[in-house]
Amino acid sequence: MKVLIIGGGIGGISAAKVALKENHIVTILESSAEPGGIMARIANCRIGFKTFFDEIRDNPRLTVIREGKITSVEKKDKLFAVTLENGQSLTADKVVIATGLSPYDPVEYKGKRVMTSLEYDQVIDQRQGELPGDFNKVGFFLCVGSRSKEFPLCSSVCCSYTIREIKWTLQRAKPEIKVFYNDLRFFGQEFYMEKVYRDAGVTFIRANSRYFEEDDTGVTVRYFAGGELKEERFNYVVLAVGLRPNPQLEPLSKLFGFSLNEFGFVKETEPLTTDVEGVYVCGGALEPMNIKDSILTGFGAGVRVLKGANSLQQNSAVNERLYKEPEPEFSFTENGSKSCLFYLGTDDAGAAMYYEYMSSKFISMARDVARAGKTAYVVTKNMVTPSYGEIAYEEARREGIIFIHLEEEDRLSVNGSLAHITGPGRDLQFDIDRVISFDDYVKLFHDREFLSVYRSEPQLRWNPTKWGRKKYHVGFIRHPRDPRWETREVLGAIGEMLLDDEEERLFPQVNDERCSGCGSCKEACPASAIDLLIQERQISIFGPIPMSSAPIAHIKEDTCIGCGLCASTCPSDVITLEQK
Amino acid sequence: MKNNDQSRVFDLTDYKRQDFSVCLGCKICASVCTVNDLSENTNPQDILQKLFLGKDIPADEPLVRYCTGCYRCTGACPWNIRIPEVIRALREELAIESPFEKAFKGSLSIWGRVYEPYVLLMAIPFLLKGGYMKHMTRWMEYMGIHLPHKVKRA
Repeated sequence: MKVLIIGGGIGGISAAKVALKENHIVTILESSAEPGGIMARIANCRIGFKTFFDEIRDNPRLTVIREGKITSVEKKDKLFAVTLENGQSLTADKVVIATGLSPYDPVEYKGKRVMTSLEYDQVIDQRQGELPGDFNKVGFFLCVGSRSKEFPLCSSVCCSYTIREIKWTLQRAKPEIKVFYNDLRFFGQEFYMEKVYRDAGVTFIRANSRYFEEDDTGVTVRYFAGGELKEERFNYVVLAVGLRPNPQLEPLSKLFGFSLNEFGFVKETEPLTTDVEGVYVCGGALEPMNIKDSILTGFGAGVRVLKGANSLQQNSAVNERLYKEPEPEFSFTENGSKSCLFYLGTDDAGAAMYYEYMSSKFISMARDVARAGKTAYVVTKNMVTPSYGEIAYEEARREGIIFIHLEEEDRLSVNGSLAHITGPGRDLQFDIDRVISFDDYVKLFHDREFLSVYRSEPQLRWNPTKWGRKKYHVGFIRHPRDPRWETREVLGAIGEMLLDDEEERLFPQVNDERCSGCGSCKEACPASAIDLLIQERQISIFGPIPMSSAPIAHIKEDTCIGCGLCASTCPSDVITLEQK
Repeated sequence: MKNNDQSRVFDLTDYKRQDFSVCLGCKICASVCTVNDLSENTNPQDILQKLFLGKDIPADEPLVRYCTGCYRCTGACPWNIRIPEVIRALREELAIESPFEKAFKGSLSIWGRVYEPYVLLMAIPFLLKGGYMKHMTRWMEYMGIHLPHKVKRA
């Protein structure tokens, strides 16, 4: 089977990997000079992409066409005949649309010192040489070119990317950093990163600004926070730009005949499938998403290419390894109260990872209350509704639900039937009958296992659903998120399993005779694959002692990831890493 | 202003309430608002919030008094919320239109266009009371009534 993948970004390469694993002939069509897409524009991800791509670069079944542009497509008996601009023509049985995203260009604000986050990335790139001399104060402004009338979706990655840029900045210099945000849309572990940087002196301000007056030495910024207008000088201002659909999607949709939704992204009929048979879609062509999700959907699209409509027919081998956590039962009864206040806020960084789930729940609950003809107030510290979730939030605002945004120092107190919001320059009182708060529902998650590292690790990860050697996690356990992701995750996990079929693996062997049972390997193991088991054995000290029992290290085959940390940690070199 | 009047304010703007309630609360409007140069700590978003909560808006609120209708807030706002239109509706609702605004509107309803002598006539009490007579030579020039060049300009 011949597979054509349009777009050589991380999504396209992931889809190519799955297709190549099954020995199909794959062509990647890249519009620029080198595959990489947006991921390769981020300095700290460039090497990662290269490593990922190098694994298939020399595969004889893979062709990469650089600077290629499609001029015409003809479909004959389920076969796509594609002609390129340079006259080259190819045929393909299956097509994957992986055009990715296109960062918004805020030309109206940009200058030498006011730059986009991708431009700033080059400034802090170690390979680009020294930092500028006046690198004392940097301001980050989120939500530029997204969540607006022009483009209502949230880009879902700019907040995460900004916190990483802060990290990379602080690794090189110690400038004063201020982050101006509307909502901090972090996921899982990133909330801990936020806490760490807060403690390290990074200031977060819940206000935004578009007043940038640039001159030779800096930028004057005006912003309104704490009830007063403030004017501040920054050396550099970074605009965290939103992500829009790739402009090439529109001509492609006309050529191939698939349809786009109202935001310019590909319309999914079924997960990762377009409405044209044989054309599949992955990555940023679907919605704004991060690198890990692009890999996940890339693998999923690869599975779709291989199996078509049968992709989800799981055999027992898949079912055994796939772990799906069901959603908790969520109950809300709307009683006779006249007005209802939803308080979406927590001070606990651990509970903050449920913001995403609770935001969408609170929005739908508030809409229920409003539809019953009552007044609904939503007091938010942070509203996390990434990508398409923003649409429900917008509709709720339009429906007249009153959203009150708490600034960093604002506090909500409820006294009887009176809600009181106080803070610097703020004093707001209104009557309410019922209060529903975030903390009432946190108990839903208490006895559940969540893997907060998914979607949010500071490092890249090439196997988005893999947890243990034979464990692939999907659904609610990965992260409480929108149901549309569930099938995508299952498809991605199936693709991952395909790629993971290993002929040989490294597995540590413990020399039972010599192991002292000190337990240092157990502490070092990142996958908790080592247990200390009591074993009967003969110990010889100055001649044999009859029988005795002592703890020795036992390595669980299923959980071990073969990293070799135990072997290097072992103080007496008892563990060896061998191929199995 | 009474609580039930707030819906009237939105009706007066010729837009729907929902065109204003899309506000994200980002306070970008406050960062660019020119009224801030005149009276400190003006936040247009606060006016919207007060309207949604049905709170009273005092007639001496700086934004209501000094808004020039420059639409800088609308240009910078991600949702292009037309705050000057709310302010205009508020002025009408609170009956604190400036005499010029009243005169312009009156002129429009009578002639269908702005007729300067009428505007001048209607504004005379205001000009006399407000101490604007010392600038008379200048604003008479603006009105199209040209004085001989020998007359001293203020």
